[in-house]
Amino acid sequence: MTCERLVRLLALYLTLCAAAAAGDVRDFKRKASILLKEEPKNPKCFAETKKDFVCFWEEDEERAGSVDQYSFTYAYQKENGSTCALQVLRSAGGKRLFVCRLDRVQMFVQLDIRVYREGIQIHNRSLLIELLFLLDPPKNVTVSSTGRQGQLNVSWVAPSLKYMDDSMIYEVFYARADSHVGQVEAIQACSEMILRGLEASTKYRVQVRVNLDGITYDGFWSAWSDPVFVETLPAELDPLIVSLTFIVSFILVLLCLTMLLSHHRFLIKKLWPAVPTPDSKFQDLFTVYGGDFKEWLGQTSGSLWLTSPFILSEECPSPLEVLSELHLCPPLSSPPLPPKASKALTLVRNEDRVLSKGLLDGESVDRVDALQTNGWRSPLHDHWLLDRLREFQQHPVPRSQCSLLESQDTYITLSGNKRTEEEHREDTLDEVLPPGVFFASRKPPKSESHSDLGSVQQSSGSGNLSSQSSFEYPNNVWTAKDPGYTYMAVADSGVSMDYSPMSRADDIGKVVIYANDYKNEIPPHRRPFLVRQCPVHDDG
Amino acid sequence: KIGFLWTRPGLPSPLRPICDLRVLNHFIQEARDAEVTMKSCREGCGLTEAVSVPQTTVNFDDWEKKNAMEQAQEVQTGLWLLQQALSLLRTSMTNSELNSHIDNVIRNLHSITAVLRSLNFQEYTPPASTVGPEGTWRVSTATELLQVHLNFLRGKVRLLLLDAQACQQEAS
Repeated sequence: MTCERLVRLLALYLTLCAAAAAGDVRDFKRKASILLKEEPKNPKCFAETKKDFVCFWEEDEERAGSVDQYSFTYAYQKENGSTCALQVLRSAGGKRLFVCRLDRVQMFVQLDIRVYREGIQIHNRSLLIELLFLLDPPKNVTVSSTGRQGQLNVSWVAPSLKYMDDSMIYEVFYARADSHVGQVEAIQACSEMILRGLEASTKYRVQVRVNLDGITYDGFWSAWSDPVFVETLPAELDPLIVSLTFIVSFILVLLCLTMLLSHHRFLIKKLWPAVPTPDSKFQDLFTVYGGDFKEWLGQTSGSLWLTSPFILSEECPSPLEVLSELHLCPPLSSPPLPPKASKALTLVRNEDRVLSKGLLDGESVDRVDALQTNGWRSPLHDHWLLDRLREFQQHPVPRSQCSLLESQDTYITLSGNKRTEEEHREDTLDEVLPPGVFFASRKPPKSESHSDLGSVQQSSGSGNLSSQSSFEYPNNVWTAKDPGYTYMAVADSGVSMDYSPMSRADDIGKVVIYANDYKNEIPPHRRPFLVRQCPVHDDG
Repeated sequence: KIGFLWTRPGLPSPLRPICDLRVLNHFIQEARDAEVTMKSCREGCGLTEAVSVPQTTVNFDDWEKKNAMEQAQEVQTGLWLLQQALSLLRTSMTNSELNSHIDNVIRNLHSITAVLRSLNFQEYTPPASTVGPEGTWRVSTATELLQVHLNFLRGKVRLLLLDAQACQQEAS
């Protein structure tokens, strides 16, 4: 049992030694690779601690001889030389490493090294050991948050070398985990550092290496320590920034409100334009009469209304009294209009468009007078109309036979202004006369409605010819209500007109013209009103 | 009647310990500059005779085995030897640039002595004989002299200051 135990212990020891040796070899090769890059001289030497010193050189496998062929001698200043036992290691790329580990290490004194191969010096070097340190990387590198945004606290354990702590310098490398490009921060004689200016919520990679400051001790930068990955804290809202943002926003809102309030009228006009109201056009309509248009019309004169800009200029309102609705019979044949009358009709039609008021001006009246003097007024024609009217009254046409009143010609009823009484009578006969007489139309009746000129007017006081109005005949049929009335059929377009009362047919010769305001009440359905006008005969 | 008042000189006030090694580092830098300049000198920059200089070799195990007094004695002796050698070199120097370096180095040695005094190290008593005591080397060139001077400052002097008791008490 005892022997077996001893054998096992020996085996374990050898294994550990082998492992340690392997580890040592691995570490040595790692440092050797650094020196092969950094040190141009041969042999390449470095000190890991205050008590060891290693020198080596590299040769190709093909050219290298056996280790026996080489000798490594060294001598400190003012001392005798010594020989170092060489070791051979195989490295990558078909190379051989010849290694010497000094037994006795002395610093702050010159060391002379000689390497011979078969008695021939191949390498020669004088150095100071305290200037060739190659330390191990710092251990236990720890990265933690400082509690502040964009900062990390890095700490490590410095190499354990007495008398050299204040001579060590460190480099801390940090970069984003997904990037190879980073930054390096240096620090001396301290084993802790705070990294600042880091991005929030970002994973960083941190590494540390060590070297000596070069004043008393010097050497090569160690290998980088194993990387440590840490994520920074998420972004926080700085209370100062939040408060400033709030204050600035509040000030901007106040400025906007002030601007809006100072221009609120302009903005309201643009966004919500006022609906135009006719208040200004209708005096007292809404203020006095509360919007009662009928009542307002009754209190105001027709001229005021007729002067309203809403009235189309083409429509010349004329005073007209509708006595009854008349159902129209088949179109009556009427004598052809005299040429002059046609011309007069045309002229009057044009004038009608010009007239925009209920009262003609003097000019138009003069024209009318001219027309009248051209032969419009024909007593024969007047009698013909009366006859026709009487005929109609005596034999009213059944409704079924009645057709739409159609008139293709424009009818004109005019009366002069400032006439004498005789003329006045004639005028009345002409225009009103006979109130129930239809004008015959030369053209065949059409099924569609036409606009006719309405006869008009007057006012006893002014004696002005009433304006001529045009009406549109809706396609309705109307019947006469009272044949005893002298009447005039008018197609009501819905425009309020001032109609003069029509005298009875019996009183045609004694027509008294007076003015009555006609309040236009829109019937449930439109009915055509026949405009009574005297036919115009041209004796010429 | 006349009365006399005798006064005696008072004891010097103790110096404040100088434990900041940056002072020594500055001296080391200037010593290195002098050595580099001396290496490039070809004429008018040699010793007329061999001089004794302190040994600069430091074996940390051996150094740690010595006590503070032995260490201080070794350093103070070395400083005295270097002052003697550098003063001799100064008299034989004709190079003006090197003369300024040598003057600076000698001045720094006196400053280091004062630093040691501030750390309560005993005053050094030079030996009666000019022959080099044990633990010294003989050098014959100015380059060697300045090299020894540099190594002595970087080694033993620095180690002594690092381990000075006065500095340990101040740090704690």
